[in-house]
Amino acid sequence: MSATSSVVDRLRAHIGTPGPPISAVVEAGHLKRFTDAIGDSYPRWLTEAPPTFLVALAPVSAHLPEAEEYGQGWLNGGNRFEYLEPVKVGDTITAIGKVVDVYEKTGASGSLLFIIFETEYFNGHGRLVARLRGTAIRR
Amino acid sequence: MNLQPGEELPDLIKHPTTRQLAQYAGAQGDFYEIHYDQDFARGVGLPGVILHGLLKAAFLGQLVTDWLGERGTLTSFEVSYRGVDVPGKPYRCRGRVSSVTGLHAELEIWGEDPDGNRTTVGTAVVEMNS
Repeated sequence: MSATSSVVDRLRAHIGTPGPPISAVVEAGHLKRFTDAIGDSYPRWLTEAPPTFLVALAPVSAHLPEAEEYGQGWLNGGNRFEYLEPVKVGDTITAIGKVVDVYEKTGASGSLLFIIFETEYFNGHGRLVARLRGTAIRR
Repeated sequence: MNLQPGEELPDLIKHPTTRQLAQYAGAQGDFYEIHYDQDFARGVGLPGVILHGLLKAAFLGQLVTDWLGERGTLTSFEVSYRGVDVPGKPYRCRGRVSSVTGLHAELEIWGEDPDGNRTTVGTAVVEMNS
């Protein structure tokens, strides 16, 4: 119980505390680079964000250096995307993220550390446009 | 709209390459080395560089929006990454309508490796236009 349990305790102390807001403008050139990278040429994405674009404006998960004391690498366990309004070129989006849960699971192949992040994205009118969740795993 | 439970979405087959992983790393701003540095990836126990989970999520988002077109709106989707996928192998995105209530429909979506393993599984919710 030792080193690893104290990492879990220290990470749990972050739960619920919002990180600093990150703001970015949705630029046509960035949208184009993103849709080229994913290989999605649907014409609407010239002016509107495709489903996963917000992760390129502001990440779902914050960097938590103490988590790197656990295991040897990161895995992405899953993502959830909820959309309330479209995001378009020219919008200024502000993202505010937080840790919503931290837990450890021990299985046959060893222990894993799960960190669940939730980030809310607001437009220039202060309206919530999307809510994203990410499950980061240390193994 | 006339969606029916059991309706299958047209498959979307992607052919990811190491070049695409580098391109995606830049476009998303995720520079974790397991996506472009073979030695680093093997050093943390992976078979080599692997696809970003969020790239597979983008493929599955496209599966739904290509099928949906302008007929409705994707309101949410979620995916779990169950296995790793490597560049150089086709990645097959599939889906089917699991339930329909009025204009609201829920879909089952998943991504398969060439052996048919569902390495990403998830659900999506769409609201059709009236």
